[in-house]
Parts: sequence; C-alpha cells; structure tokens
Amino acid sequence: MTRFLLVVPPLVGHVNPLVGVAGELARRGHPVAWAGHADQIHRLAGRDVTVFDCPMPAGGLVRPPELTGPAAFRFLWEEFFVPLADLMAPGIEAAIDAFRPDVVLGDQHAVAGALIAERKGIPYVTSATTSAELIDPLAGMPKVAAWLGELLGGLRARIGDPAGTADPRFSPYGVIAFTGRELLGDAPLPWERTHLVGPAIAPRADRSDFPWDELDPGRPTVLVSLGTANADAGGRFLAEAVSALDGLGDAVQGVVVDPGHTLSAVPPGVLVRAHVPQLDLLARADAVVCHAGHNTVCESLWHGLPLVLAPIRDDQPIVAQQVVDAGAGVRVRFNRVNAARLATAVETVLDSAGGHRAAAEAIGRSFRAAGGHVTAAGHLERIAAQHAPAPIPATH
Amino acid sequence: MSTEAIGIMTTEPLDTDDAAVLADITRMLRELLEEDGLDDAEISRETTFHDDLELESIDLVTLAGVLREHYGDRVNLALFIADLELDEIIALTVGELADYVAASLRANGQG
Repeated sequence: MTRFLLVVPPLVGHVNPLVGVAGELARRGHPVAWAGHADQIHRLAGRDVTVFDCPMPAGGLVRPPELTGPAAFRFLWEEFFVPLADLMAPGIEAAIDAFRPDVVLGDQHAVAGALIAERKGIPYVTSATTSAELIDPLAGMPKVAAWLGELLGGLRARIGDPAGTADPRFSPYGVIAFTGRELLGDAPLPWERTHLVGPAIAPRADRSDFPWDELDPGRPTVLVSLGTANADAGGRFLAEAVSALDGLGDAVQGVVVDPGHTLSAVPPGVLVRAHVPQLDLLARADAVVCHAGHNTVCESLWHGLPLVLAPIRDDQPIVAQQVVDAGAGVRVRFNRVNAARLATAVETVLDSAGGHRAAAEAIGRSFRAAGGHVTAAGHLERIAAQHAPAPIPATH
Repeated sequence: MSTEAIGIMTTEPLDTDDAAVLADITRMLRELLEEDGLDDAEISRETTFHDDLELESIDLVTLAGVLREHYGDRVNLALFIADLELDEIIALTVGELADYVAASLRANGQG
C-alpha cells in the first residue's frame, strides 16, 4: 500500500488524465488524495475523492485572444504558472503534512508539487499531459531557456530547497507522459525515465444531453470543438466553420461546440450545442476540427479520427505539427482560415485516399495498446517500491 | 529528425543588396503562408513575425529550411534565433531577419 498525493493546476486538460490514474490506484488499494482547485477536482473526479484545497489565481487562466506565440509563453510562465506555484505552496505543504504521502505525482506545470516534495525528501513523479514539452521546444533558444531557468530558480528559492538542482518539470524519479511515440516521431526523450503511457481515456461523468436522433446517419459526422479554454477566442473561427460545414451540404453532418454562445444564425443541417458528450460523440464521428489541444487530439486519434488542426497558442502549434508529421491531419491558421479553406481541409481528411484516416487509426491502435491509466498506475507502483524507505533493521 | 544541408549553391551570384534580400524573404513568407490562407498580407520591414503574421516558433524552423534551400549554408537562421532573448523573439520583425541574412551573405561571400 502506497499513499499517493496528486498535485494539479486548475486546468481541465491537466486534471482529466489523472482522474483515471487516481481511480486505478484506488482500485489497487492505494490511498489517494489530490491537492489543487477543490471545486474543479470534485467536478471532474467525483464528490467522494479526498482533496486538499489550494488557493487559486482569481479567475483562472485568462488571456486576451490576441496573446499568442512567444508572448503567450512569457505570460503563461511569468503571470500564471509561477504565481500559481507560489499560491499553491502552503496548500501543498499542508496536504503533505496531513496526508503523509509516500509519493507525490505532480503535474509538469504545477511545479510547486515537485519543488516542495524535493525539499521534503519525498519521491515525486512528473505527470506530463502534453507531448510538446517532451521534445525540448526551447532547445534552439538557449536564452529563452535561461530566462525560464531563472524564473524557476527564483521560485525554488522561495518555496523549495535552494540547494536543489533538478528541473521541476522533469522529475529524476520519472516522468509519466500521457502521449505516444507515434506523436513524438523520432524525437529523443528528455530523460530516460520518461514513460509514454498513451492517453488516459477513462469514462467520465458527462451530463451533457445530446439530440442523437438529429444526427443524420447517412452523412459523415464532423465535430468542431475548440476545447474548454478558448470560449473567448473562437467566435470568428466557429462562424467560418459553420459556413464551411453548411457549404459541404449533404457531404457532412456538422456538430459545432459553442460554449461561449458566439454563433447567431445557424443553418439547418448543422448542429450547434454549448456542450457535447465528447467521448460518446467521437465514437460516432468521422473527423474532428479542433485547436490541437493535446487531450482533444489524443481522444480523436484514440477513436481513429483524422484531424483538421487550427492551433491557437501554447503547446498547440507543436502538437498540430506532430499530428501533421504523423500523417493524421492537416493544419490551418486559426486567425486566417476562411470557410472555403476549412471546407477543403475537411474534405481532405475525410477522403480515404489521402491516408489521414488510416494513419489516425494506426495511432489509435497504438494508443490503446499503451495502456493509459492502467500502465501509469503500474509505473507509479514500481517507482514507489524502488524508493520506499528501507525497513528498519531489527535490533539484536 | 533534421537533415544536413547538402549545400547546393545556385550558379548565379545572388544579389545581397538589402532590398533584394527583403524581396526574397517577402516572397518566401508569402509562399510559406499562402498554403495557409494569407495571400493578401502586407509584408514590410516593420512586419512582426508573431503579432502581424501570427507565425509560431515552429514556423521559424520551416523558414530556416527555406532560407537554407535558397542561400545555402551561408545563412543559418537557427544561429540567429539562438542568440535572441525572449523579448527580442516576441518583437522580431521581417527587417531584422533581412538584415541578418544580408550580413551573413556579405560575411560569407557571394557564392
């Protein structure tokens, strides 16, 4: 029996993969607790899980839609992840003192988990929920890498062990990455103890009702979704997507997710919903148009679906390129693409002659074989056993 | 992952005049972006890669390949990017890139 503390940022895409892992660890008899945004964790992982609430930045991660590229990267670390770590530190400290975990499983971007575990001498494992950090995106920009290193160094001086040296994004005890080799291509891994376990796709409580009988079974279904974090930025893109789907007429059945209610006039034949039961819908869909968020991409590929990718920022351009390189999708420009180009892109990935569907299906098969949350739980048990304190020798 | 440059040089001498280099780069950017729905963007020396053209770091990798294809090994965009601070990358303009390319061509001979 091992006690696991899971440390997560207030971001759905970072919590969701660990929901399945937490369930699997509990099923195997291990006590599990969470540290993070209690309301969100309860909503995603269930009411009955143990959560140590941490103070969170007011309003969560809010950025103007036009903040993209390297400016978004600077904002993400300087204005969000580092302040988040400072804010979460006392809550994590309290969680460790109360729960006494044997192992901390810390999200790669909730770095307070790693820094405090390191200071307290508790083995900690990194949870990586995107494939983008694994290819060392700053390798060609040493001055940017140094900038981030300084930021993390300052953080460590405040909340961690000032003598520590490990990069808190890549634990020396091991990194569990919820992605697959098929997406990474032949890029070298940052660290030999990186375990690619594939996406953790566990059934989740989804209360969205959906008018299944309105889907035309005679037309291939195309799902358009910009994920959970882009409701403010997606208006123009969604409008172009609706015109593209409308223009394709009987060739497709479009389903557009519009959580921000930005669409006004919707032509008949295109289904628009504020929320959808995404996994159920993917099981019936034929292609996905999305922002290249790692979770939506992996869930789509898991179901063998080809993708049209319109990355907005952060890891999304890298994830999009990985999908394109793997042959399972095409990329368009989020802020530039119009209905005509989007329609062409949808036709391209739906055309079986293009091979996108076959590539997506092959990736999906390998994802399923990787084992996801079950494999992750196995790695965690093994790492815990390797680093368990030696039993106190009996006195003679 | 990456391929070594074969270093095929064009047989005709390239014009390293700043204006000619800027025209070359403008054409490359149009070609790079045209596939992705940007035929009509105005590109000048003051155009920024990120705010104006909405290029991502990953696009700079593609551009590095295009530059090498055109100019050969004399122009190494990766070296240029590696020397930039985060703020300088955020504010990077087409003019700055053109100046680097022109200076590289002058320093490394005209082929």
